[in-house]
Amino acid sequence: MAKQTDGVSRRTFLAGAAATGAVAAAGCTSNTGTETDGGLSGDINISGSSTVFPLAVAMRGEFTAEDVHPNVDISVNSTGSGGGFTNYFCTGDTDFNNASRPITETEEEQCSSNDVTPVELKVATDALTVVVNNDASWFGEDGEECVTVEQLAEIWSAESKPTTWSDVNGDWPDEEIQLYGPTDASGTFDYFLEEVLGEEEQHRTDYQSTEQDNQIINGVANSEFAIGYMGFAYYSENTDRVTALGIDNGDGCVKPTLETASSGEYQPLSRPLFTYPAQSELADEHVAEFARFWLENSTSESIVADEVGYVPNTESERDEMLDRLESAVEAASE
Amino acid sequence: MSNADERFGRVSRRIGKLFRAVLFASTLAGILTLAVLLVYVANDAFQPLSADPGWHLVFLLTLVVPTVATGWWCYRRSYGTLATGLLGTVMPGIAALYAGGLAALFIDVIPTLVWLSFVIALAVPAGVVVALRRTDRSIPFLAELGAVLGVTAGSLLVVPGLVQGLPTVPADWMVLVLTLGLPEAFLLGRWIEGRWGRRDGWIAGAAILFGSAVGGVLGTATGFGAIPGVALTMFAAVPTALYVTIVLRERPERRIGLLLPAVIVGGALAGELLVGALGLTGPAAWVDWGFLTSTTQSGDPRSVGIYSGIVGTILLMFVVAAIAVPAGVGAAVYLEEYAPDTTFTRIIDVNISNLAGVPSVVYGLLGLGLFVRYAGQPTGTLLVGGATLALLVFPIVIISAREAIRAVPDSARQASYGMGATRWQTVKNVVLPRAFPGILTGTILALSRAIGETAPLLVIGAAQVFGIPDSWTSTIGAMPLQLYVWASTYASPAFYTTVLAAGIVVLLTAMLSMNSIAIYVRNHYEQR
Repeated sequence: MAKQTDGVSRRTFLAGAAATGAVAAAGCTSNTGTETDGGLSGDINISGSSTVFPLAVAMRGEFTAEDVHPNVDISVNSTGSGGGFTNYFCTGDTDFNNASRPITETEEEQCSSNDVTPVELKVATDALTVVVNNDASWFGEDGEECVTVEQLAEIWSAESKPTTWSDVNGDWPDEEIQLYGPTDASGTFDYFLEEVLGEEEQHRTDYQSTEQDNQIINGVANSEFAIGYMGFAYYSENTDRVTALGIDNGDGCVKPTLETASSGEYQPLSRPLFTYPAQSELADEHVAEFARFWLENSTSESIVADEVGYVPNTESERDEMLDRLESAVEAASE
Repeated sequence: MSNADERFGRVSRRIGKLFRAVLFASTLAGILTLAVLLVYVANDAFQPLSADPGWHLVFLLTLVVPTVATGWWCYRRSYGTLATGLLGTVMPGIAALYAGGLAALFIDVIPTLVWLSFVIALAVPAGVVVALRRTDRSIPFLAELGAVLGVTAGSLLVVPGLVQGLPTVPADWMVLVLTLGLPEAFLLGRWIEGRWGRRDGWIAGAAILFGSAVGGVLGTATGFGAIPGVALTMFAAVPTALYVTIVLRERPERRIGLLLPAVIVGGALAGELLVGALGLTGPAAWVDWGFLTSTTQSGDPRSVGIYSGIVGTILLMFVVAAIAVPAGVGAAVYLEEYAPDTTFTRIIDVNISNLAGVPSVVYGLLGLGLFVRYAGQPTGTLLVGGATLALLVFPIVIISAREAIRAVPDSARQASYGMGATRWQTVKNVVLPRAFPGILTGTILALSRAIGETAPLLVIGAAQVFGIPDSWTSTIGAMPLQLYVWASTYASPAFYTTVLAAGIVVLLTAMLSMNSIAIYVRNHYEQR
């Protein structure tokens, strides 16, 4: 039975094969290999700080643009600086980890026990921003809202734990404080803890914590008696929705802006932002090239300041970081 | 006595009426809430109010009114006529959707040359099997198996490198015509041969092959792209043409239903021409070509696109199907046809049913523990994501496949045994062919559950910002994950009412298209 349905005569078969062959020959091109061009290709995985996240995404966009390196596939995860080091980078899963504070000793130990050598590269400066609702009137005149470092410390301290605003300052309203902030996996949390609360104090834990900084903005924008803090970039995209408080460190009130952050006036909350490539991964040309690209563009006003909202590196900082990167690349390829 | 009668005559129906009213109200509330939600999302995604009123008027007159009138007229003739028309409208759309997905795979993930080399490498052992069967039937089974496995392994080692090193290779469209068009032409040709005779079968096969080649050449010439050209011809135009031919030749009483798609396409074209001529602007929809094909990720909703999510989802579904379907169907066949009915198998039965209801985040954690922490795979890769989702749908595939196998009447099995068939022959020739439509339906529904899963992907560390993966170990994302990231990481109002709504529409379209295929397959085979 099979014989009968398959019974195509030899002549028909030959004719068919010849026709197919002829068409096939017409549709041939010379083999240019499976690589589409000579450009770089490969995967890069980035984890870490939600503060650096928008900057990393912007650099990714520039780097993978059609006319630069479209075949490099970069994925970025916002995991918090500490979360990224502990769960992704130091276990060898990601090539870069972004951080809004320097790597800690414990993290370095964890990394080295897995043969991961982090290379510290400063990519921008941030003004950690404290925001309140636009209707919060008790911080001062419009445009001059201010809070002292001591008041901030009291609001966020695990010891004092004020429940109403009047607990902090008798002139402030007798309403419940609603707190929004990053989780303790975040470098922003670590930095705030160290600079505002100090070594001895504990950060309170009864607040709305999230690794998605825009949710802090949403929380504060929707509640009159809320306060929160996060990286400047998220504030700069939402200047009409929330109000940034000036910080009084004893020398008068300074508002967070790119200028006050780069001049160092905005104290103690202006801080460096980092990315840490793993030295061994820099042996791959596409990883090294991305690190180079990021540093070279870290002085760019248009990307770092206008698009994302951080203070770009100075040229001398950039050159220093490039030197550090090149020696790491050299060490990696040996 | 009379008292009792009176009481009997006065049973109140108030409670019954109230009960009915409550049921009606709760039904209405649920349906209305969903409807309002969907309308709200669709409004954000398509922004219909941003169009000129004249634009709406033009399309109302050219498209909506004629479509409704034709549909009503078809319905008055017979329900079957309307069904024919609706299927003729929906099928090309869904077919084009999947053809587009296939084209995306070949454009961005699998270089056609690599694909060709592996097809040839697998065709060699297939040819060996056929040759062995033809020449000598006395070869012992184990020797044959060993030979085939050896040839397969050798061919996979040697042939791909050889083919990829050739100085002259077929163009993209040619590869697709050879590797997909040729089998399609052969299979459909055979099918048509059985239906309408040998001559028609050959004509159809040749037409399919020629048509897909023309699609490729036209695609290249018009700049539309060779790969999409071939894919759309092969998997959208050919099935549509086949459907139209079948209706015209075999269903004369329903033929007129094909007027409906004709009216819709004609109306859309006429409307498009008219608004172009009158200079009316359409709605500034967020679901547009740029949104569907852009891989850009940034904080600006105007520039972002969902393309990498779409490709990620397609690839994940391939991996899920490749793992879960053979394993799940195999388990179902074993449990239904072979396993003895003991306490042990009953415990397994109960456990499978329970596993189907385990929350997806648990499967995510299982995947994280099993594949990432234990097996040492990197986090969030295509392989890990697919394997985790495969674990998730595995029990569902087993359950639905078992239902389908159980629905095969025992009399069919007995008849097979009665003719001296072995159990393996019965399963192969009687049970599986009969259960196939049911298994297919269950599998598609299981995949359409996997397509919307977000939690397992989050847990295994899939990327929040991702591109097009280029290997099994690339970090991957998917459409639902993309929506989650737009809603959480970019949690700004600018995203909520724009690309987020557009993304929901795309995801729902993909899911509903899968479900509609499943429903169609089920109904089609139930009618037999």
